[in-house]
Amino acid sequence: MAAASRPLTDAGERPLVETRGLVKTYELGGETIHAVNDVSLAIHRGEYVAIMGASGSGKSTFMNMIGCLDVPSQGTVLINGTPTENMTSDELAALRNQNIGFVFQQFNLLARTTSIDNVAVPLIYAGLDVATRRARATAKLIAMGLGERLLNTPAKLSGGQQQRVAIARALVTEPLILLADEPTGALDTRTSEDIMAIFEQLNADGITVIVVTHEDEIAQHAKRRIEFRDGKVIEDHAVENRIIAAPREEVSA
Amino acid sequence: MASLSDPHAPESALESAETEASQSKAPKSKARGLFSSAGVSIAIAFTALRTNLMRSLLTMLGVMIGVFAVTLAVAVGNGASEAVTETINRFGSNMAILVAAPDSGDNGPPRNTGVRGRLTQRDLRAIEAEVPNIRAVAPLLIQQVDVVVSGATVSTEAVGTTVGYGFVTSQVADAGRYITQADIRSAARVVVLGRTVAENLFGEFDPIGQNVRINSVPFNVIGLLEAKGSTLGDDQDDTIILPISTMRQRFVGDNLPGPDDLQLAFVAFRQDASLNRGKKDIVAVLKDRYRVKPGDVQPFTVRTTEEFVEQSNFVTGILQAVLVSIASISLLVGGIGIMNIMLVSVTERTREIGLRMALGARRSDILLQFLIEAAVLCVLGGTVGLILAWSSGVALEAYADFPVPVGLVTALGAIVFSGFIGLLFGGYPAYRASQLSPIEALRTE
Repeated sequence: MAAASRPLTDAGERPLVETRGLVKTYELGGETIHAVNDVSLAIHRGEYVAIMGASGSGKSTFMNMIGCLDVPSQGTVLINGTPTENMTSDELAALRNQNIGFVFQQFNLLARTTSIDNVAVPLIYAGLDVATRRARATAKLIAMGLGERLLNTPAKLSGGQQQRVAIARALVTEPLILLADEPTGALDTRTSEDIMAIFEQLNADGITVIVVTHEDEIAQHAKRRIEFRDGKVIEDHAVENRIIAAPREEVSA
Repeated sequence: MASLSDPHAPESALESAETEASQSKAPKSKARGLFSSAGVSIAIAFTALRTNLMRSLLTMLGVMIGVFAVTLAVAVGNGASEAVTETINRFGSNMAILVAAPDSGDNGPPRNTGVRGRLTQRDLRAIEAEVPNIRAVAPLLIQQVDVVVSGATVSTEAVGTTVGYGFVTSQVADAGRYITQADIRSAARVVVLGRTVAENLFGEFDPIGQNVRINSVPFNVIGLLEAKGSTLGDDQDDTIILPISTMRQRFVGDNLPGPDDLQLAFVAFRQDASLNRGKKDIVAVLKDRYRVKPGDVQPFTVRTTEEFVEQSNFVTGILQAVLVSIASISLLVGGIGIMNIMLVSVTERTREIGLRMALGARRSDILLQFLIEAAVLCVLGGTVGLILAWSSGVALEAYADFPVPVGLVTALGAIVFSGFIGLLFGGYPAYRASQLSPIEALRTE
C-alpha cells in the first residue's frame, strides 16, 4: 500500500473529503424532511472517522453523499479538492471506481460468483483485462487471509469471510477512502473484532477509513468521532481511550 | 491517481487541483470503450440465464417458435418459387408459348373478348421460316383421354404433336422409339407412354409393342418417355404422346375452327437468343398473317417462359409475404415475452445494479449488460428455432415432395434477426436499469 508515501493527518493539507453546507431533503406526505441539514466538515488523508447517530439521524444519507452515490439537495461535496456537483454520472462512476471503496452491512456479494470474480468486479469497470483483474483480485484476497477461499461462492463462506471478501473488493482499485456502512452489523462480536482489526491495519497503511455505525464499541476504534442528530453534527472530536483491535489471524493489506 | 498522492501538489490552489484531478481521471474513464465490458457481460448473461433456468427456457421458447415460424415461412416461399421455376425449366426454358386464344394485352391469362382464337399449323411454319434463332417448334393438340388395356383404365392427358415436341421439351423416348414424320404423314395409331401411365397400365410388364385403347380406338405402344419426375404434386410423367394428325382425326378435329387449327404451339429459341426479341418477332409475323390493325384484339396469345417465371415469382412472393407476416406475429409475441422477462430480471436485480454502480459501473455498462442478456436469450432461442425449421424443411422435402430450402442466407438472417429482436425488446428494460439511481437501487430489498 506504499504507506510511507502517504502522510497521516496534516491539517494544512487539502482535505480528502470536504462538505460545504450539505443539505439533503425529502418530500414525505407534503412535508419536507431535512435528512442532512447544513453540514460542513473536512476529513483529511489518513484519518479514521466514526460517524455515529441513531437511526434516522442522517448519518447514512451523509455517507451516501460523500460516497457520491447520492446527490445533495444543496451544498457541495469535494473529493480531494474537486467539487462533484457538476460531474456527469459517468464521471461520478469513475470517481467511485478509482477513489472510494464501499463496505456494506449486508456484504452485497454477487451470489453464485466466486470470491475472485466478486473482488474483480470494480476492475471490470476500470477497464482492465481479465488476467490483470484475476491477479489483483487474488492478491487482495490473499492479503485478507482468504487465499484458500478464492473459488468459493458466498454461500460457502462464513459471515466474517464474506465481509473480508467485500473489503478485498473495496480495496482492489487501491482507493484513498474506505467507506463502511455498519460493517459489523451482521456479524457476531468476535468476528466484528476481526473486521475492526483489518480497518486498524488499513488505516495504519495510510487509507482513510470512514465507518458509519450506531454502536459505541465500534466507534471507539476510530480516531475521530462525528455524531449526527436530526441531520446535524452535534459532536465532532478525537476519540479518547481508543480500542486498538489486534488481528486474530494473519491479515495484512 | 498520481496527482492525488502527489506531495508537491499546491495545498490551497483548489482550481489547479481540480484541473489536475480531472486531467488524471478523465482520460482513464473516457479511454475505456463502451464494449470493453462486453465479454464480461456475456458471461454475466449466461450466469443470469442459468440462475433462472426454467424461466429462461420458457422465454427462449417464445423466440424459438417465432424464429421457427418465420424461417419456415421464408423457406416455404423460396421453395414454392424454386419449384415453379424448376418445373418450367424442366419442361423447357427459353421458350415461347402460343395459345389459340385472343390476347387481352396484359400478362394475365387470355380473357374472353368475343374474338375467336386462331392459330394454325401454317402459322407455325411461317414463324419457323421468318423468325431467327429458333431451335425447334411443336404444334399441340391436347385432350384428356381414357387409356384402356385389358382390365386397367387410366385417365391421362394426351398430347398430339410432332417430332419437334421432343426437341422443345428435351424429352426423348428412352425405350422403344418416339413418333416420326412417317407416323404423322400416315396418321398412324401409335402412342408413346409417359412412365406413370405405363406403370399404371402394365405394371412390371414391358408395354412396347402392346395394344391399348384410347377412347375406344386401338393404338400400338411404340415407346416410353424418359422419366421427368414431379414437382408440387404435378406429375410430368402422367402423359401420352400421339402424332398430331392422329389426334386431329380421331379426337379433337370436330371441336376446332378449321382443319389446320391448333390449340397451342411451343417455339423454343436457342439459349443465347433473346426471348423478348423472339416474342416480338412471332407477334409481328402473326399480326401480319391475321391482319391485326392497331387497337384490334389479337386472335392469338404469345407468352414466354420468362413471363411465366416472373408471374409465378410475383404470386409466390405474395404468398411468402402473407406467410411471413402471419409468422411474424409469433415472433412479436416472443419479443414481448423477452421484454416482460427482462423487466422482471431488472426488478429482481435492482440491488445488484446499485452495487455495480457503486463499484464504478457507468450507465452504459448497465445498459450493455442487460441488452446483451436479452440478445443472448434471443440468439439462443433463435438458433434452436432455426435448427427446428431446418429439420422440418428436410422432413417436408423428404415426405411431402415440397422443397423447403433453409439456406445459409436464411439461417444467418434468422440469427441476426433474433439478436435484433433481443436488442429491440430488451432495449426498454435495459434502459430502465441504466437510469436507476445508485443509492435507490442499493436500498432496494
